[in-house]
Amino acid sequence: MKMVTRTAFANMKYHKSKNILTGIAIFLTTVLLFIVPSVGMNIIDAQFAMVNKVYPTWHALYRSVDMETVAGLAAHSNVGIYGLRSDMGMIPSENAEISMCYMDETGLELYRIKLQEGTFPSEENEIVVSEGMLKDLEITADIGDTVILPFQRYTKDGMDYAREKEFRICGFLPDGDTALKKHTYTALISEQFLKEEIPEEEITYRFLFRVAGDDRASVDEVEKKIKDTAEDFGISQTDIGINDDYLIANYTDPSAVPIIVMIMLVVMLAGIITIYSIYYVSMTQRVQEFGRMKAIGATRRQIRQIVLREGLCVAAVAVPLGLIASTILIRPILLFFTARADDNSMVQIYREIILNHEIFLYKWWIYLLAAAVTLVTVYLSLLIPMRKASAISEVEAMRFQGNQVKGKVRKGYRELTIGRLTRTSIAGNKKKSLITILSMSITGVFVMVVATALSCINPVESANNDIYGQYEISLNAESGNMEHPEREWKNLIRNNPLSEELKEQIEGLEGVRKVEAFTFLLGETNLEYGGEKATETIAGLPESCFQELKAGIVEGDAVWEDLLEGDKIIVKKEMLYWYPDIKVGDMIRFQCSDGVRTETRNLEVIAIGDYRFGLGEYNYMIMSKEAADQFLDEDCTGYFQVIAEENYDEDLEAKIRQLTDSSELLVVGTWKEHFDEWKQSMSLTRGACYAFLSILSIICVMNLINTMINSIHVRKKELGMMQAIGMTEAQLKKMLRLEGMFYTVGTLLVSIGLGSALGYPAFLWMKSGHWFSVQNYHYPAAAAIIVAVVLVAVQLFLTAVLSHSVQKESLIDRIRFSE
Amino acid sequence: MSIIVEVQDLVKYYGAGDNLVRAIDHTSLKIESGRFTAIVGRSGSGKSTLLHMIGGLDRPDSGKVLIDGRDIFALKDDKLAQFRRKKIGFIFQDFNLIPALNVWENIVLPLGLDGKKVDVKEVKRVLEQLGILDKLHAMPNTLSGGQKQRAAIARAIVTNPAIICADEPTGNLDSKSEMEVVSLMKKCVSDYGQTLVMITHDETIAQMADNVVLIEDGKVVSQS
Repeated sequence: MKMVTRTAFANMKYHKSKNILTGIAIFLTTVLLFIVPSVGMNIIDAQFAMVNKVYPTWHALYRSVDMETVAGLAAHSNVGIYGLRSDMGMIPSENAEISMCYMDETGLELYRIKLQEGTFPSEENEIVVSEGMLKDLEITADIGDTVILPFQRYTKDGMDYAREKEFRICGFLPDGDTALKKHTYTALISEQFLKEEIPEEEITYRFLFRVAGDDRASVDEVEKKIKDTAEDFGISQTDIGINDDYLIANYTDPSAVPIIVMIMLVVMLAGIITIYSIYYVSMTQRVQEFGRMKAIGATRRQIRQIVLREGLCVAAVAVPLGLIASTILIRPILLFFTARADDNSMVQIYREIILNHEIFLYKWWIYLLAAAVTLVTVYLSLLIPMRKASAISEVEAMRFQGNQVKGKVRKGYRELTIGRLTRTSIAGNKKKSLITILSMSITGVFVMVVATALSCINPVESANNDIYGQYEISLNAESGNMEHPEREWKNLIRNNPLSEELKEQIEGLEGVRKVEAFTFLLGETNLEYGGEKATETIAGLPESCFQELKAGIVEGDAVWEDLLEGDKIIVKKEMLYWYPDIKVGDMIRFQCSDGVRTETRNLEVIAIGDYRFGLGEYNYMIMSKEAADQFLDEDCTGYFQVIAEENYDEDLEAKIRQLTDSSELLVVGTWKEHFDEWKQSMSLTRGACYAFLSILSIICVMNLINTMINSIHVRKKELGMMQAIGMTEAQLKKMLRLEGMFYTVGTLLVSIGLGSALGYPAFLWMKSGHWFSVQNYHYPAAAAIIVAVVLVAVQLFLTAVLSHSVQKESLIDRIRFSE
Repeated sequence: MSIIVEVQDLVKYYGAGDNLVRAIDHTSLKIESGRFTAIVGRSGSGKSTLLHMIGGLDRPDSGKVLIDGRDIFALKDDKLAQFRRKKIGFIFQDFNLIPALNVWENIVLPLGLDGKKVDVKEVKRVLEQLGILDKLHAMPNTLSGGQKQRAAIARAIVTNPAIICADEPTGNLDSKSEMEVVSLMKKCVSDYGQTLVMITHDETIAQMADNVVLIEDGKVVSQS
């Protein structure tokens, strides 16, 4: 076998150009096979590191658990360490949302709560606050100081009247970025105070615990134990809170593995296609070489081994080079992806973790995996060439005359031009041309489908879907808060702050196009949910919404006059999720009251429509505003939608807030808030998709390079011959450009055609699954143009470079060329 | 007879140092117009290199090749290609037909490259003369060696070049086809008043030539 290896090595050197091509393909495959799992695993590791740094360490919590159940749970075999938390009430504030809660020692540990200074509360009047909280409460105080704070206790109906109490500050909690941004804080109180305020038998706890047992269990196993234990104590599913992020970070999560494996398989497939096609073409050219070897006594096995070892010799150089390049590239790649995070704070933390070397980026098993998978790829790519080479008969090989075109006769052209010559050459090998276009198009189709998904998940669109106008002024309604009876719906509408006067004032602001008022009706229906009569809401929409309402109807029909009648409604499609039996023609009884007048109507469902959230918001039943206003005597306007000239104008927001600040009963929401939320949540998805697209693009370009190189390399002699009989360099370049253009245009037509066709179902799938609030289909025109421009540019560049490289070899050498 | 090809102190070396091969080593030659010149010599003597340089396929290290008094290597590549397709026809030992084109397309390809209109009657006349008129639409892989070489001859003479360079055109043919092909070539060039420069190993073919040039070690040693 020594001779076989020596021959393979000699072959590798002799067929240098082809093996350099193969080497590049193997190198790129190795790089991709290393980078895909590395990026995936390192992002997961960074996430885990972040979770372990920030997230609470409890696995699950059970809400509303009484002391008796606590005792039972504590003794359960599935329960390891456990802690208690009880939310007693709130500190009312105009500027902030402050909850008051008690946590036992283990609870504090499980929540990773550490004081900035001071001690945890033990005495009845002790409290732990934060600097941000005191600032929002407009109080200046330090440890040991006593402060008088208002508080409202939670009751089973809502919230009790506010009272005041003198507390002594015993400690300070640090303020997180989110807390300061959203003005949400927690004040810690003592057990003594909790028990003093609430009779012991009425106190309910959040039971926080870590599941006892094997640390190597999967997330699913841990979750099963959590749910089983809840069932043992009759705790409902809705009262279970699972710390998913923490669990995934610390226990085996198999869900990430299939995605990484899938991407690796795509890369592997691309590698196989590319390496195989290089060898396939090479085999056709080397028929005589192998025939000669057989003629002098090489066995089939030896020939197979020569081909295999030649490939492995190339791999022996390309794989280590690929691993070295990957090692150099992985850190910049991770930093590049995390740099795209804009203001996404989570990704910023990942970036810091990577920058601070908190995770080890270079995993030995990924090196082994990448090398092993690449070698398998090389082996699989070589299987057919090995078989072909060993099957060559000695006699056939000697008679072999190079590329033969199938068919005995062809009508052909009477006169030849460069265009016709190109067409003939492509048509002469239809199968190869078709396979080339299809193999290149596979990646193009993927790019287009992913690009369609990306073009549909647009934070501007999603924000537009969430809110009808650019600013929303709604009523700050609250039920059961004894301190704020004015927030009760029935009281709000008696003196509705969403007045005509306010509307006119807002309409008078610069930058406001118009203000639309929407009516909101809350009432009981004859519909049943969970065995009880359901409370539902009607949205009364202005006529300006009708066009959109009409366009969104998926079943039934409606004209504006129907919606003016007051007993006909359009039902939003989402309502069918809760009440699947509703159909067009059904009657729904609806009863609402303003405390004085009670109105009961039977509403006919005349249509079912699929609408964006912003149209009617959570109100599933829709009629005209005029009709909804007739139900009760009071003004039931629920919110104003301000349609402004710009999606966001800081000055205008300030002016609107100024107008609404006079009333505590109004809440302002903005398009910008929705936009920012979507932007943040989409940035990671975009990053991942861009990463995937980049990989696919590299593969696509790799395939194009390979096709072009092969096409020129294999026909070196033929092209030389054409030049010998008078083809000029300009004509040669034109012919190669036309050929390249044929593959490019073919690939583009299939990629963009099929990719667009498959992109639409992908959009429908996302829409039906409510992914990223996707509502509207957007053709990824930019992606299609970029794909087209990149492919054409790469192809033109390659043609120029390759035809130049062909010219470097003397014409006579090319005419003599045969391998 | 006028001189159509004049080779002046031509040099072409390959490799360097110990591996230096003096393919053509300061050699000169004159070829008369309208004659059949055979270039003979041992394998590796430099005859193919000389022919390729006469035909403008390869550039020398030094020296000149004048065709009709014009130094062809003073031309840039594209101009040389244009000159080649107008003035020179090539016939190779291994035919070098384009496999994707049928016989007719292979023959009219040089005309197409030159942007010339195909004179169908004239091309058919040439094919008839060469005995392959019935193979117009046949693909090269379906032809016998003799038929392929006839197609290659037709391709070489269809543009009516002044010189036809043939590099052992009978090397891949059986003896019957060999004589037929050479006779045909000779007849064609005499009918069209062309100059034929042919490399051959075959004594019989060399004897059919008007001139015989003997090359040894890259130098013309005799011309008769």
